[in-house]
Amino acid sequence: MTAARPALRIHGATHVGSVREANEDAMIVDEQVGLFAVFDGMGGAMAGDVASQKARDVVKEYVRARRGQMDPRAMLDAALNAASAAVHGEAQVRRDRRGMGTTAVVCLLLDDRRALIAHVGDSRAYLLRGGRLNQLTRDHTVVAELLAQNAITPEEAEVHAYRSVLSRNLGAKPDTRVDITEIELTRGDRLLLCSDGLYGFASTEAVQQLLGSTDAPEQVARDLIELALRGGGGDNVTVVVLEAGAAAVPRTTQLMRTSGSVSWWARRERFFEAARAAGVAQNPICAVLSPAEAIEIVAGNFVEALFHDLEKATTVNVWTYAENLAHGWLDRGGAWAPLRLILDILHHACGQVVADVRRDDADLALLIEAAVTRELTVCEMAVGGVLGEQLRAVDAALLKLYAERQVASEARAPGDGARPFVEQPTMPFLRNDRAPEPAGPEVRPVLDAALRVAVGRGGDAALHDLLTRLHRLAVDASPPAAVTVQARELFGVRQLEERAIAPVFDALDRARRALVDAISAGTAPPSAKVAAVRQLASASHGLAASMAGLVVEAAQPGAHKLREVVRETAALRAKVGKTEARVAELERRFATVYDPLAGKIAMDQAIADVGPSRPSAPGILARRRPGRETQR
Amino acid sequence: MTELADRINVLRDEVLDTVEQGDRDLPGAEVFEAVVRQLAALGDSSGHAGIDLTLHDAIARRLAWGDTEEAVLGDADRVFERLVKAVQRALRDPDDQIAVLETASDVLTAAARIVALSAVGRAGRDRSARLREELAQRRLREALTEQQTTLARLEQELKDSGL
Repeated sequence: MTAARPALRIHGATHVGSVREANEDAMIVDEQVGLFAVFDGMGGAMAGDVASQKARDVVKEYVRARRGQMDPRAMLDAALNAASAAVHGEAQVRRDRRGMGTTAVVCLLLDDRRALIAHVGDSRAYLLRGGRLNQLTRDHTVVAELLAQNAITPEEAEVHAYRSVLSRNLGAKPDTRVDITEIELTRGDRLLLCSDGLYGFASTEAVQQLLGSTDAPEQVARDLIELALRGGGGDNVTVVVLEAGAAAVPRTTQLMRTSGSVSWWARRERFFEAARAAGVAQNPICAVLSPAEAIEIVAGNFVEALFHDLEKATTVNVWTYAENLAHGWLDRGGAWAPLRLILDILHHACGQVVADVRRDDADLALLIEAAVTRELTVCEMAVGGVLGEQLRAVDAALLKLYAERQVASEARAPGDGARPFVEQPTMPFLRNDRAPEPAGPEVRPVLDAALRVAVGRGGDAALHDLLTRLHRLAVDASPPAAVTVQARELFGVRQLEERAIAPVFDALDRARRALVDAISAGTAPPSAKVAAVRQLASASHGLAASMAGLVVEAAQPGAHKLREVVRETAALRAKVGKTEARVAELERRFATVYDPLAGKIAMDQAIADVGPSRPSAPGILARRRPGRETQR
Repeated sequence: MTELADRINVLRDEVLDTVEQGDRDLPGAEVFEAVVRQLAALGDSSGHAGIDLTLHDAIARRLAWGDTEEAVLGDADRVFERLVKAVQRALRDPDDQIAVLETASDVLTAAARIVALSAVGRAGRDRSARLREELAQRRLREALTEQQTTLARLEQELKDSGL
């Protein structure tokens, strides 16, 4: 349904959708009166269409009869109230139509630059200005009202049990409250009236993109309907698109769809010629084809795909072409280079066609160049996707091969393959790579004498034990493993407490000093004394470090256990948080439904709006959102 | 012994391997500096050097900044090894060599002791933290039980209300 005013272009379209059997939407596109509207009927058995059509007829007649005689704002308000009364009256007469109602969003043009938008329910009006989409209406749902009163948060609104319940509609009561807004229209503005069958099944971004395209309103309306159907089409969908101050010159998209595509097709021979000259027939991909077949299949299919894409302003044909080409070649084990070369040839041939067009029409050439560049980019992406698939397949094959080889090697040498890369646990600070230097022959007597002297000076059994161990380690220049064994024996079983650990180190100090004192007091040559002290220092240091290592080692399980316990606590805390949220949600629901003191009560408000006559009419209260068929 | 401390101090680059490690934040520097300090202190009092709090602080700081106990002990081991070699080459007097070796042994044992006691302290803190966590877990379990009871009651009430 198309209408035209001097500075306006308008188109309305409706579709039953993919799920419903009947179209309960209705619309008005009346360019003479300047009245445009969308109605979305609901409730009762097959009564939704009756409600919407009734409301449509009443509003149309009312405005037609009184246009120019009443204040426009008051007229719209009265027209919608009259529609509400009519629908309500109809519902009272027939039992099977009880509970029927309809939403309404109405645009009344005051002149070419001003319009009134009136609405009741959740059908919407959007204004696209400067590429930005603005919603002009606020849905009359219980949740939207609560949200406006800041009684709930947007997050709560999304999951609210009454998000589908309308707080106002036409037909629930003889009269209703109508929201009316006046808007200024500027050149290039686009106004969209739509039922929830559009925005319930299409993202706002997609709607914005289509509405913001340079296509004519007819095309936009068709695309919007198709968008909703692609999104599931779970409800009737109706759109009315108004364009203010339509440009007199054709838009770029339209130009490409018509002149651009025609111009491209007309120059296909130029493309073939350029491709032939660039050697497309000599490419390995075309090895099994004759030169004519190569041109026909590789170049011809590309030209055709691009023509269809230009005609429909899509890229799907070229994508399919490139994917088929890449699969056909790479799946046979073809190399990447010839494919790259083909893409370059196509690019080059496109350039020749564009240059040809430019000689006749530079502007059109610019448009074709931009469109062709986009198409070639899509080609590259499609080929890249196929390459990615191939690489993933290669990866999977390699992983499989690697796993098979691992299994085979482990089967050959089970002992070696068990832990191939894991080092045996050790104390890293005791360097196994450092070869111990055994005491020279002159050192041993010095150390033996020192031990005798130190033991002879008295002390307890523990000190004597330590003296003996230190002496042994110094004489043998024991490797780190032996030092660790000594340390373990010395350390024994102890509590991890300062009073249990510190005495061991103190005793070690005392023992070493006793031996060094004995060495210093001895009569051995100085060099032997120095060598003996050096051996002793090394042994003492090794023993101290080993004991420290043992303490660190003993403290590790506690740290691990603590990490585990902390993880458990965090999990428990998360569980408690989740349960708390669930309890809060239920309490809120419970309070929202039953608590008479809560004030902003959804059910009460909904009932108040619907009227006292049928406080529990399910057809009115259980107004659905798309997809919630059972509530309808 | 102050003179001996000075003579050992000039071995700093060699012992700490500044050519390889650079001259800032050298691994094991705290041990070398403790040896020098203790040698200087021996000269002052000719007695026992006492507890070296600076060494204690330096090691505690390294551990607090995230160095592992193994790294601290490993660096000390490396410094000791290089110091022994440097002393053997640089000092001719056997008594000086013995004094330095004995001092180094003292410092190394002290360092090991500090590391061990810090691990003990950490183990104690871990135990306390674990106790706190277990206490918190008990409270959380109690809260969870209460919440589950409330949840069941609310769900039942909502079910009964037919919504």
